[in-house]
Amino acid sequence: MFGEKACDLIKELSRAEDNLPAYNTDLVTEVGNEIKVLIEKNQEDAQISEDSRASDGLSYISTVKIRHAAVKRNFRCLLAYHYNRLKCIRTMRWEFGSILPADIKVNMSATESEWFTKYSRLMTQYMRSVGEEGVNLWVDLKPPKALYIEVRCLVDYGKFELNDGSVIFLKKHSRHYLPRSECEELIRQGVFYHIN
Amino acid sequence: MENLNLSDDLDLENALQDENDEDEQLTPAEVIELMEEAWLNEKFAPEILPHKFDVVECLLGQITYMEDNIQNLESKDFRKTIHQLEVDRLRFLVCSYLRTRIEKIEAYCNHIMKQESERISKGEDQYLTESEFQFLKDFIQSLDSHFEKVTSFTVVTEDWKSQPVVPNVHSFVFLKSKQEVEGVIIDDGRNDENDLVDLDKGSQLIISYNSVANLIKKGDVHLI
Repeated sequence: MFGEKACDLIKELSRAEDNLPAYNTDLVTEVGNEIKVLIEKNQEDAQISEDSRASDGLSYISTVKIRHAAVKRNFRCLLAYHYNRLKCIRTMRWEFGSILPADIKVNMSATESEWFTKYSRLMTQYMRSVGEEGVNLWVDLKPPKALYIEVRCLVDYGKFELNDGSVIFLKKHSRHYLPRSECEELIRQGVFYHIN
Repeated sequence: MENLNLSDDLDLENALQDENDEDEQLTPAEVIELMEEAWLNEKFAPEILPHKFDVVECLLGQITYMEDNIQNLESKDFRKTIHQLEVDRLRFLVCSYLRTRIEKIEAYCNHIMKQESERISKGEDQYLTESEFQFLKDFIQSLDSHFEKVTSFTVVTEDWKSQPVVPNVHSFVFLKSKQEVEGVIIDDGRNDENDLVDLDKGSQLIISYNSVANLIKKGDVHLI
C-alpha cells in the first residue's frame, strides 16, 4: 500500500519519544524509491492520457491524482522524520553541551552531525553579538536557588580546578560542596550527581 | 569581620543609581522590574513579542558592573556570596529571556520570517533585533540545506515551508492589568455577538491571547 513505509518511519520515531533512534537509512531510501517510482508512473500515465485525449478519451487522471497524493504524503513524512530528529538533536545540544555522548553520536547521520556543528556555530555567533561581551546561554538553565550545592562524584574524575585557583581532587563517591556555576557543566556530563 | 567598613566602596545600589541617572533615569530596581515583566510576557505569550533589548543591554551592563565590584571584595567577606547570588539571579533572568526568544524563533522560524519581512516592507518596527534576525536567517538556511540533502534523490515536489509551524494565538493566558482598559473584545472564534470586557487597574483574568495581544505589546497589561 502507498505510504506504508513512510508511516513506519514516523512510528519508529514517535515510539522512541525523547531518545534519538538510529538513523534508518534503509527505510528512508525505500520511501525515497517509492516516491520516485510513483512519480515515474504518473509521468507515463499523464503522457498516455494526454496522447489519447483527442482519439478515444481514455483518461488516467484519477489514478494520477491518487498517486500524487501518496507522493505528497510520503514527502511530508520524510520531512517530518528529519525535522523531528533535528529537534531532538537540538535538545541534546542544550542538555549535553558541544560534545555528545558516543552512544548518541552513532545514531546520527552524517548530514545531521553537520547540522549539529552548524547549529552550535550559529548559537555561538548569536551569543557573542549580544551585549558588549556577549552572553553564555548554555549555562544557568535552571533558576539559581543557592550559590553552593552539594554534589556527589559518580566517577573518578581526577583534578578539577576552580575559578579561584584552588584545585580539588574528585574521587568516585566523594561528596563536595561547590559553587553551582562551576558544577553545572559536570552535572550535565554525568560526572556529578546533584544531591537535593 | 575586619572589613565591615568596606561598605563605602561597595554601595552597589547607590553607585548604580548614580550611573544610570545620567542616561536612562531609571533606578536598577526599575530596570530589573522591566526585565522581569518582559521575561514573564515572553515566557507566557505564544508568539514572539517586540524585543526589549535596551533593557537587556542595560541590565547586562549592571551585571558587569556589580561583578567588578564583587571582585574587589575579599573572599572572606560574607556579603560577597550574597551579592554573587543576586548577580546569578539577574543573569538567569536575562539568559532565560533570551533563550525563550531563541526557542520561539527556532520553532516558528518560517512564520516569524514572513511576519518580519512584512514589517520591513511596511516600514514598521521589527520585533527581532539585528542579531536575532541574523540568527533566524542562518537557522532557516541550515534547515533548508539539511532538507535539500535528505531529499536530493528527487526533484522537490513539495516545499517544507508550505505549511509552516505557527504559534497558537488562541491559547489562554493569565494577565494582570496595569491600567484601566475599556472594551476588550473577547474573540470566541465566531463572528457574531462578541462579548466586551472592561479591565480595571490591577484586575486579573484568563483570556485568549489574541484578544489582548495588542495590549501586551503596548504595555497596558502584563502576563502572569
